[in-house]
Parts: sequence; C-alpha cells; structure tokens
Amino acid sequence: MSDLQRIDETTWEIPSSSRDDMRVPARIFADAEILEEIGGDHSLEQLENVATLPGVVGAAIAMPDIHQGYGFPVGGVAATELPDGVVSPGGVGYDINCGVRLLALPLAETELGERREALVHEISRSVPAGAGKSGGHRLDEKLLDGVLRDGPRALPDVRADDIQRTESEGCLEEADPKAVSERARARGRDQLGTMGSGNHFVELQLVEDVLDAQTAAAYGLAQGQVTALVHSGSRGLGHQVCTDFVKVMDERLASYRIHLPDRQLACAPASSPEGRQYLAAMAAAANFAWANRQAIADGIRSAIARVLGREVANGTRQVYDVAHNVAKVEVYDGVRVCVHRKGATRSFPAGSEEIPLPYREVGQPVFVPGSMGTASFVLAGEAGSLERSFGTTCHGAGRRLSRTAARKQVSGGELRRELEARGIVVRCPSAKGLAEEAPLAYKDVDRVVRVVEQAGLARRVARLVPIGVVKG
Amino acid sequence: MYRFVDHTAELELELESDSQEGVLYEALRAFAELAANGAGDPSEREVVVAARDLPGLLVAWLDELVFLAETEGFVPETAELSLAGSEVRAALRGHVGEPRPLVKAVTLHRLRFRTENGVWRGRVVLDV
Repeated sequence: MSDLQRIDETTWEIPSSSRDDMRVPARIFADAEILEEIGGDHSLEQLENVATLPGVVGAAIAMPDIHQGYGFPVGGVAATELPDGVVSPGGVGYDINCGVRLLALPLAETELGERREALVHEISRSVPAGAGKSGGHRLDEKLLDGVLRDGPRALPDVRADDIQRTESEGCLEEADPKAVSERARARGRDQLGTMGSGNHFVELQLVEDVLDAQTAAAYGLAQGQVTALVHSGSRGLGHQVCTDFVKVMDERLASYRIHLPDRQLACAPASSPEGRQYLAAMAAAANFAWANRQAIADGIRSAIARVLGREVANGTRQVYDVAHNVAKVEVYDGVRVCVHRKGATRSFPAGSEEIPLPYREVGQPVFVPGSMGTASFVLAGEAGSLERSFGTTCHGAGRRLSRTAARKQVSGGELRRELEARGIVVRCPSAKGLAEEAPLAYKDVDRVVRVVEQAGLARRVARLVPIGVVKG
Repeated sequence: MYRFVDHTAELELELESDSQEGVLYEALRAFAELAANGAGDPSEREVVVAARDLPGLLVAWLDELVFLAETEGFVPETAELSLAGSEVRAALRGHVGEPRPLVKAVTLHRLRFRTENGVWRGRVVLDV
C-alpha cells in the first residue's frame, strides 16, 4: 500500500512504476474507511496483477465495493485494446452475466397490506432456489440454441417492453451456440428460471426514498411503491463456459508468450481463435442469463397474478436489467476496447444510444443491491464514468467477511428472527446459507454509492428497502 | 488429510497425502463433504480426466466431480485411482441424490500440487 497515491477525494492510484510488470496504473475509487478495509486482504495486489495483462489500457480499476477474489478482484474493471489485447475469462468470472433486474409493481406497500407474506411465499414456490440439478424449464436442443443465440427473445410470450428495457436488449450479437460445449449445455439444460445459491435472491422491496424525482419518474418509480429485485446469472452453463476457456487459455499461454503473475488470469489475444471462441461462448452464456432472469420475472408475475390478480401482474413493468459480470466491446476516445466488468456495472450517461429511449434523457438505470435485508439503490449513469472508469460503476455492497466468519457471528435462526422482527418476510432453503449472507458480512452499501456519486460515475435516484426475501 | 481455509468470497482447500493419487482421493473426500446431502441410491461411475500438468489435473479432477454432481446428482464417496503422468483413471462409488450446489467452479488461483519432504501437498481455491 506504500505506493498508493491520493488523486482526489475519492480516487487513489498505484503508479505503474511500482512493479516491473505493471503496464498501467491501478485506480481505486474509495473513501478512507473503505480503503482501510481493502488493505486487510489481497484486493490491491490482485488489481496490480490485472494491470499486467497484455493490451490493458488506461488503468486497472477498482470500484468501492471491491473485495478479494481469485485472479481478478471482485468489483474490478479492465479494458484491453482490440484487436490484439487479451480477453480473460477470469475477468468476467464463472457466473457470466450475473446481474440484476428490477420490476415495479403498480401498487404501494400500503395497498399490498397483509397479502405480503402470501406473495413472498408464492414467489418462493414459482422461482426454484438453491437447486443445482433441476427445477427449471427443461429446454430442448432447439430452444436452448435459440436462447443462447437470441436471449429472452427466444422464449415464448415475452413482452416487448421487457426486452427493450434490458441491457443490450438481452442479446449480445457475437453469441454462437456452437462455441458452447456439450458439458456447458448439459449443466444449463434444465436450469432456466432457477435462482441458484449463494448470494442470489429475489427481494420484494419498497421505494423508501426518492433522491432524484425527475429520473425516478422517468424510471416509473414513486415513493412507497412495491418492487421486485432479482439477482441471478447464467447458472451452471456459464460456470462451465468459464471453466472450459480458462483451461484452454491456460494451456495456450506459452504459445502466445504470455507470462502471468496468477494462473487464474489465463487469457488469449481477443483476435486469436481461442479469444474469438471465448467471446462467442461468453456472449451465448450472457444471453442465457438474460433469458434466465426473464423466466424468473415470468415466475414472479405468475405469483403476483395468483395473489394480487391478473391486472396487477400485467401492470408489473420491468424497470431495467443490468449485467455485472461480462466483457463487452465498446469505444472510448475512438479506441475499440474489450471492457471486462467483474462485479461492476455499465453506467452510461444521458444521451447514450445504448440506453432505451424512455430513459435516454436521464441516463441508464443501475441497480446496486445491498446485503440481504438492507437497503438497495437505483442509480443513473453519469458522464464521469466515460471519462474515468470505462463507463462503469459499482455493483453491490461488497463482501467483507468470509462465509465461515459470518456464520460464527450470527446464526441463521437469529438472523431470520431479526429480519422478521423488522417486518421482513424470509424464505430460505438453508439457515446456514442465510447466516452466510448476513448484513454484517458486507460493506455498508450507503457508503459505497456515496463514493461513486462523488466520483461522478453515477448518481443516486432512489433508495429501496426490503419487505420480503427469497434467498437462493 | 484435507482441510478448508476460508477466504472472503471463496473456499481454499488444502490437501496432503503420501502419494499423488492420495491427494486426488483427499480432494474427492473434501468435495463429498461439501456436496453430500443425505443418502440417495448407490451408484458407480468410471471416469478418465487429463490435464497439461499435475496442478491442472487437480483442477480438472474436481471439475469432473462438480459436473457429475450438478448434471447427474452423483457424489462419489470412494474411488480406485490409477495415475499415469497427468491423467487419472478412476472407478467411483457413491450415491445419486440431490447434492448441495455449493461449489460452482474450481479455479487456478493459488494452485499447487507438489512434493515437500516426501509429502505430496495440493492447494486449490473453489468458487462457492
């Protein structure tokens, strides 16, 4: 940490001269307290390692929710210059296109009243959680190919406004189903519409506070309104795509004369056969993840229809859907780059053609879930992100305690009682899993979003608090 | 012998044995502890797993176990292993049920598989 230099109130840098193998500086968005927490683990060393990747440009960037990962830190951004800069599957992560979708119900919490518990229960029945093996829609080969190629568009009866209000309209065009291995297909075939385990969840939340009235109105959010927040990804299919290509690229490192400080950073030039194949497979897995969150949203709408009636279900709008583990080709200062976002969210400002028309004047919606049972934020992309972070902002609160450490400090039963005492309905398959995701295991999300706002990467639009939790 | 070392967002597995096959066997036992979820129907599998080097084999071996658990619900409890270079052939015996989906993937981060003073040691970080 000795080489850490403060650039301004919320920006620190480690110069590229601090290590022989760094090609660019490492840049960290944080406040003093967050920085102190980061100093306790290997996050910054991992960020410096990212700064050694061939073709990396600008800086290896960490968001304030950074924490130690394997290879890349979580909460990291790296852009590599195309065509020959590298693409690294580890820079996207195993859960390709893990992301967040927000649905807005056409009613206020006061109108939901005592039907809340029934609604949480119905959602837990409609969206299989935890299961690795089954529980989802079983896809035949043709539909699986369609989902991998086209994302949620391939599913029957999908609403056009859901597609329109999804990052990249839920489809990365580079996707090639043939680049996805049979093993990956086997893992994903019956998992569509399932949440997965770990930190994945569906939460019912109410809009507690509107911080930017004009933007909240554009997003269709009002104080007191009920929303549903979905956090899930590409399930076993994405895990296997990453596994397959980390292995392939690890085996080819010597032939590309790439030397890495950590084998998990395995990479290949984006223009190489391995790089192109990975980008095609990753895009297909990303499309699968968007379709998965679409199927989960359909499950939520079905639960809403059963408890609150068809009209409320039909009036439940998708606000937006963002990816926070993905690599995308974008252009900055006229240079085409491959932006790796691992635990980081695209945050394009007003005016960007990538933003759906209804939001184009206010900026792209970004969702930042806090830890289970704490606040989440809706943000809007700001111009500073284009100048300072390759159009990116944070993705969550960021872990600070290991799962075992969390379990030592609180039991699942205690946590459930505490959440229920605060009026939050909880459905979780495992008490142990509940304790591992306890709020004390995470950083303070309010502080994280204050940093990105101060740094000009995104601005706060609304603060949401949970009223029901269905955990994976 | 195997033991788990907890990290912020993942699980590190440390393995020790007097042979290379023993390290792979310990990895299997550790995985079974993480994935087993009550009794199911007894079952057997035969697998062949290969990699470019011994540490890579440890990852590929655990990858195979993750894959079998997730796609077939099969978790092995014992195995007969035969190793040649960095390829292992294994006859696995265990149960088919509804394993816990804790392990998502097996990483190359901090990966190690080597001998120290006559003891074979492995280390691998799991994405959980």
